[in-house]
Amino acid sequence: MVNLVLNENMKIYRRVRTWILVGLMVAFVLFVNIIEWHSGGKKAQGEGWRTELHQENQQWSKVLKQRELNKEERTYYEQRIALNDYHLKQDIRSTDGTMWDGVYGSANLMIVITIFTIIIVGDSVASEFSSGTIKLLLIRPASRIKVLASKYISVMLFGMLLLLTLFIVSFVGNGILYGFGYMDLPLINMTADGQIVERNMVLNLWKTYMLNGVSTVMYVTLAFMISSAFRSSAMAIGFSVGALFAGNLVMQALQRFDWSKYLLFANTDLAQYLNGHPFQEGMTLSFSIGVLVVYFFVFNLISWLIFTRRDVAA
Amino acid sequence: MSNEPIISLGNVTKRIGRTTIIDNLTFDVPQGEIFGFLGPNGAGKTTTIRMIVGLMSITEGQILIKGKNIKTEFEEAIRHIGAIVESPEMYKYLSGYQNLVHYARMVPGVSKERIDEVVSLVKLENRIHDKVKKYSLGMRQRLGVAQALLHRPSLLILDEPTNGLDPAGIRELRDYLRYLTRKEGITVVVSSHLLSEMELMCDRVAILQRGKLVDVMPIQDLTGGSDQAQTYLIQAHPLEQAFVAIRNMDGVQGVMLAQEGTVEVKTERECIPDILTGLMQNHIRIYGVQMVSKSLEDRFLEITEGGQIG
Repeated sequence: MVNLVLNENMKIYRRVRTWILVGLMVAFVLFVNIIEWHSGGKKAQGEGWRTELHQENQQWSKVLKQRELNKEERTYYEQRIALNDYHLKQDIRSTDGTMWDGVYGSANLMIVITIFTIIIVGDSVASEFSSGTIKLLLIRPASRIKVLASKYISVMLFGMLLLLTLFIVSFVGNGILYGFGYMDLPLINMTADGQIVERNMVLNLWKTYMLNGVSTVMYVTLAFMISSAFRSSAMAIGFSVGALFAGNLVMQALQRFDWSKYLLFANTDLAQYLNGHPFQEGMTLSFSIGVLVVYFFVFNLISWLIFTRRDVAA
Repeated sequence: MSNEPIISLGNVTKRIGRTTIIDNLTFDVPQGEIFGFLGPNGAGKTTTIRMIVGLMSITEGQILIKGKNIKTEFEEAIRHIGAIVESPEMYKYLSGYQNLVHYARMVPGVSKERIDEVVSLVKLENRIHDKVKKYSLGMRQRLGVAQALLHRPSLLILDEPTNGLDPAGIRELRDYLRYLTRKEGITVVVSSHLLSEMELMCDRVAILQRGKLVDVMPIQDLTGGSDQAQTYLIQAHPLEQAFVAIRNMDGVQGVMLAQEGTVEVKTERECIPDILTGLMQNHIRIYGVQMVSKSLEDRFLEITEGGQIG
């Protein structure tokens, strides 16, 4: 099994294409962060953060005096003010103007990881068929299920590589842009019941990564299934990337139907439970995890059934 | 070498939808032979081979490789097989060597030395680290042979191995297969629609037609046995007298005037001296006698159209 994964890795990393994707990933992260830094981030450097927080609090207090705010908005601003007060009182600077601001902003680029991993996964099974190499691959003493599993694992490892690239590049890049100061700055956050807590920046960052990674895994698994079922990389990549972007639009249209909460796209974004706005009333984190697990196993089961039973005729 | 057949097909049937592609095939391939699958396009050669190597499922019946069922004991059965199914498609973006490493990793016990050994066996030492996309078709074919031999299989299966090869490449492959059967005791199964190729390569052939087994026979039987009536061309003068004389002789099954100055006689080999003696006694001058071996194509058509061979 280890050997099979080594093989699949060789087939991924010995291709120029793969390194172009990794290079693009690096370029994207640097580009976005430099733009971000240039257009505002660099002004917030130094000791100006206190004044900024004071200004923010004044502004929000004004907003709170308006009558038409609903309860949700009201709590949102109150919490923001409380967080700012905590910063000022404990003399812990905000992330504005530190490298952490950029590093956290880069976590949004997880979607690029999803797309690039879909490109690799969409091709991994389909290209074996289109190039005819599948014939020589499947006449070895390795069962088809192992061959399929090794492909899945190697693609997931590629996703991890991109994630690591994202982390390192955004860390080093922002470190250079903002300076490697405030390394031990804690992240001030509020729990669901309104408690203010201090968290470790890096640990919390990886938590964000992992939470977003759930959606990456789901889309990649979907693409993997299409790739092994239809043996067409164009279809696998096209459909999965399409679903990634169109998913939210479709879900908005379907939101009024009760059953739509069982759809994949309603559950991929687990961060919805952190922001407190689930797709439909009554959905919980464990509900979504349950739905995702079911989808995950169904996708893999379909890939497996089709791949192991199929006649290799082409 | 044991007498256990290396491949044993028992009532193998393949249906796709309602169409029966392969109908009830039963035969054994003994060890150490070059065994050919012969048949026109669409006869089911490739399908049969793909079922043997496990690329296609078997609807009914079973295939045993050295006694192991390819369906239920796939990993044990396939271990003995090296194969090229149609043209050997390799990973073009990898070097020849990386391709071999790839396949070596999939079988336990293939060492680096073995890879080098196989590379030198197919004489690819100079180009093995080049990318496969830079290889000529002949080189790819040789790399294909190398990957098939990597794990020292006792059975080598080649599906249409000569497709796209030039005459030199075909000859090279043929010599190579001979070498493998003699020196390494490997059993080779090849399929082809090219009769002349099969004639030069095989010890025995299975003739397939429309998914059915027509016959399994030694290749000599197909190219023409010695005890059967053959056609001879006799160049004689004067021709008309020769024609009349031969027509009245014993053992002659047919006679006709052929091209300029020759009579075509259908008879058994043993009768030829008598015919010639008879002609000389009639003072007919004989300039030459030539056996016309019936072309393999004719024989093949005879078999596949007329059922059993006589």
